Amino acid sequence: MSTHPDYNAMSDAEFRKIFRDWVDVNCPQHLRFMRKQRPTFDEVADWYHALNDKGWLSPVWPVDYGGMGLDAAKHIVYVEEWARLGCPRIPDHGIGLTGPLLIEHGSDEQKAEFLPKILTGEHVWCQGYSEPGAGSDLASLRTQAVRDGDDFIVNGQKIWTTLAHCANWILLLVRTTKSDKRQHGITVLLVELSSPGVLVRPIKNLREEEDFCEVFFENVRVPARNVVGEVDVGWALAKSVLGHERIFLGAPSRPEYALTRLEILARDRGAFEDAAFRSRYARLRLDLYDLGSAFERFAKVLREGGTLGADVSVLKIFCSELYQRITEEMLTVAGEEARYYDDLPVGDAGGAIDVMNLYLDSRAPAIFGGSNEIQRGILAKAVLGLPSR
Amino acid sequence: MPKIILDDPDQTLSMLRESVETLATRVDGAARLRRRRADGGDLDRDLWSEMAAAGWLGLLLPEDMGGSALGPAELAVLAEGLGRNLLTEPFAALAVLPGQILSAIGTPAAATIAQGLADGSRITPLLWQDAQGARAPLTLAGNGEAMTLSGTAHFVTAAASATDLLVLSERDGVPALVVLPARNGPAGSGGITVSSRPGLDGATIGQVTLSDVAVAQDQILAQGTAVETALQAAIQITRFALAAELAGVGAKALEDTVAYTRDRVQFGQSIASFQVIQHRLVDMWSDAEFACSAVTNAVEMLTEDTPAAAAQAVLAAKARAGDSAVTITRRAIHLHGAMGFTDECNIGLFNKRAITLNAMLGQSEDLRLEFLAQEMATKSTAA
Ligand SMILES: Cc1cc2nc3c(=O)[nH]c(=O)nc-3n(C[C@H](O)[C@H](O)[C@H](O)COP(=O)(O)OP(=O)(O)OC[C@H]3O[C@@H](n4cnc5c(N)ncnc54)[C@H](O)[C@@H]3O)c2cc1C
Repeated sequence: MSTHPDYNAMSDAEFRKIFRDWVDVNCPQHLRFMRKQRPTFDEVADWYHALNDKGWLSPVWPVDYGGMGLDAAKHIVYVEEWARLGCPRIPDHGIGLTGPLLIEHGSDEQKAEFLPKILTGEHVWCQGYSEPGAGSDLASLRTQAVRDGDDFIVNGQKIWTTLAHCANWILLLVRTTKSDKRQHGITVLLVELSSPGVLVRPIKNLREEEDFCEVFFENVRVPARNVVGEVDVGWALAKSVLGHERIFLGAPSRPEYALTRLEILARDRGAFEDAAFRSRYARLRLDLYDLGSAFERFAKVLREGGTLGADVSVLKIFCSELYQRITEEMLTVAGEEARYYDDLPVGDAGGAIDVMNLYLDSRAPAIFGGSNEIQRGILAKAVLGLPSR
Repeated sequence: MPKIILDDPDQTLSMLRESVETLATRVDGAARLRRRRADGGDLDRDLWSEMAAAGWLGLLLPEDMGGSALGPAELAVLAEGLGRNLLTEPFAALAVLPGQILSAIGTPAAATIAQGLADGSRITPLLWQDAQGARAPLTLAGNGEAMTLSGTAHFVTAAASATDLLVLSERDGVPALVVLPARNGPAGSGGITVSSRPGLDGATIGQVTLSDVAVAQDQILAQGTAVETALQAAIQITRFALAAELAGVGAKALEDTVAYTRDRVQFGQSIASFQVIQHRLVDMWSDAEFACSAVTNAVEMLTEDTPAAAAQAVLAAKARAGDSAVTITRRAIHLHGAMGFTDECNIGLFNKRAITLNAMLGQSEDLRLEFLAQEMATKSTAA
């Protein structure tokens, strides 16, 4: 790995150009604007390794740990260019979740053991938080870890674990103590999925793709050294990792992409000749434009070294609902063709628009990452200061 | 809970309702849909035969065509029941649409085909739509002994299972309804090519290309304005059946979501106890109510034999029921959380079925515009 230039000392424009030029040459064309939202590690392994060789796999980790050490402003540029060039989402729970958690709260041994293996792709992580009985109410989680000598013994079940069937490690939230205050008594554990007693069962989603899973734990032994931070105080740890990255839950890339697809479909089907459609399209276009402005307003806070408040949730709500409205408009433009499950042909050159793929995909972001109802609840209390019942 | 409310003096409607529910206790609609989808099929012939045996396929047909000679009220109740139970065999597109055309034509040849349709022995889709669902250019050329049929039809229901193809063609600008055996004719007589694409509701959708298929005089079932009149009337009654089915889809998705959110506990309480969820459910219920009353209104208008009013009522019902079912089922997915995003949970199938039925024979906006155009036309003649 080469020594890095100081990216943070560059102007945003300068960094943008360097990043874009290299990525555009090096990210394989067949991986651009992939149909699949969450490709598996194997599908994008070449790109993952190329990024790591360049030292660009991990934008925010400190340079000492093999990251780029970008500040929030440069990180935004990184994410924007990534989306603009249509790079595929890489299995990023190691880079985005386990890594930052260990960097902040892990022991030196844990950092030395796990961080390099995330970068090489030897460890592929998944996020084991949600349970059948603990979704929006995550603190009610019941998967249990009981101390036994140098180990913990884990019993219980996780669900909706994205790409668990393609991962070999899981970042697990477990209950170590039953307590009246439910946030107390939760612990973060690093668990190898090949451990005896772990069973992973993929679940088909609305697109009939297997991209999330159930993960069962039956008397699984996990060494006590795999506890991150202190026992029983994992809730605060888990909540702390998001930080400035909460802004990306509202990054306009999904609706932006969907709108380009809608435009192509509408041109091909002659919908722009219809004044009613033009008017609806104009609204969607300006909603997207205004989402950009709102995103900028929060990005500016970060650029000036500030921290985000609870109000940033507004981006996630608007963004996910805009994505839905755009894909719903696609179904209207499709007319009778909305009956097809496969992609709709456009033009004479074999092009196609994945209307149904996008429509079904757009159902998810309003649910995950804290559902839009939960986000509205946060805004009501933390921003408007409204009373609880 | 919302349902299509109709006068039922001699209990035929409630008996019909019951017979759909009885079938649905034996036949798991969602499971059949998934099986058909996995097989890449376009029709579940066993289930279709059961529907024939129950007298449903010929519900509207006159008795001398093997039908039960029932009317819009019975049709609404049956279609609603199919929608509620996710019995997704193509009742509207494959029983109602071709059946109504055949019965309107009414010749002995048409009656024979209609009888086969009613008893389930003949699968007779109508070929008439292009790639976007508009009228397809299907051309009948030549005269007397030397006639051929050419063109491509899209959105052909049960194309691979078909025994006969009803082709809505044109000869020199005059409509002609032609029946073809679905398999290739004698060698050298040109061919029929069938391909298919996956449909959202788990049934494949056919494309049929006819290349100089030989046609004999007795294969022309009807010509001229009679064909056009039959088609328009059949489209209207099919849209009506779709509206009733959509009303059933929406109402059942609402009921299932009420049940799910009642049972689902988060933060120590049923999520249905949160006011925002209650209000959302009430909006969905209201959508379902309006869909059902729009269909009831259409039943009345169709029964009263006031053609202009009936035409408007059907347009309104399909538009309302389509929007309502699509919106209810979309919200239902969201209220199921991640569970709603799975293929295992039936709520997604309701959404897919609603989108499919809504897209058939005109989406809501087109129907509303047609409604308005008819109303304007009536006003200007009155003035
Ligand atoms: C595609 C996808 C990928 C995912 N990947 C992962 C993963 O990798 N790891 C992981 O741990 N989890 C993952 N999840 C799970 C996700 O975090 C949960 O779906 C989410 O927390 C919601 O929980 P739930 O699905 O149980 O819904 P529920 O909490 O049961 O909610 C059901 C409905 O009720 C509403 N609701 C709930 N509480 C309230 C309230 N207090 N007020 C008003 N409305 C309320 C919700 O908004 C929702 O509409 C994923 C989910 C999806 C859809």
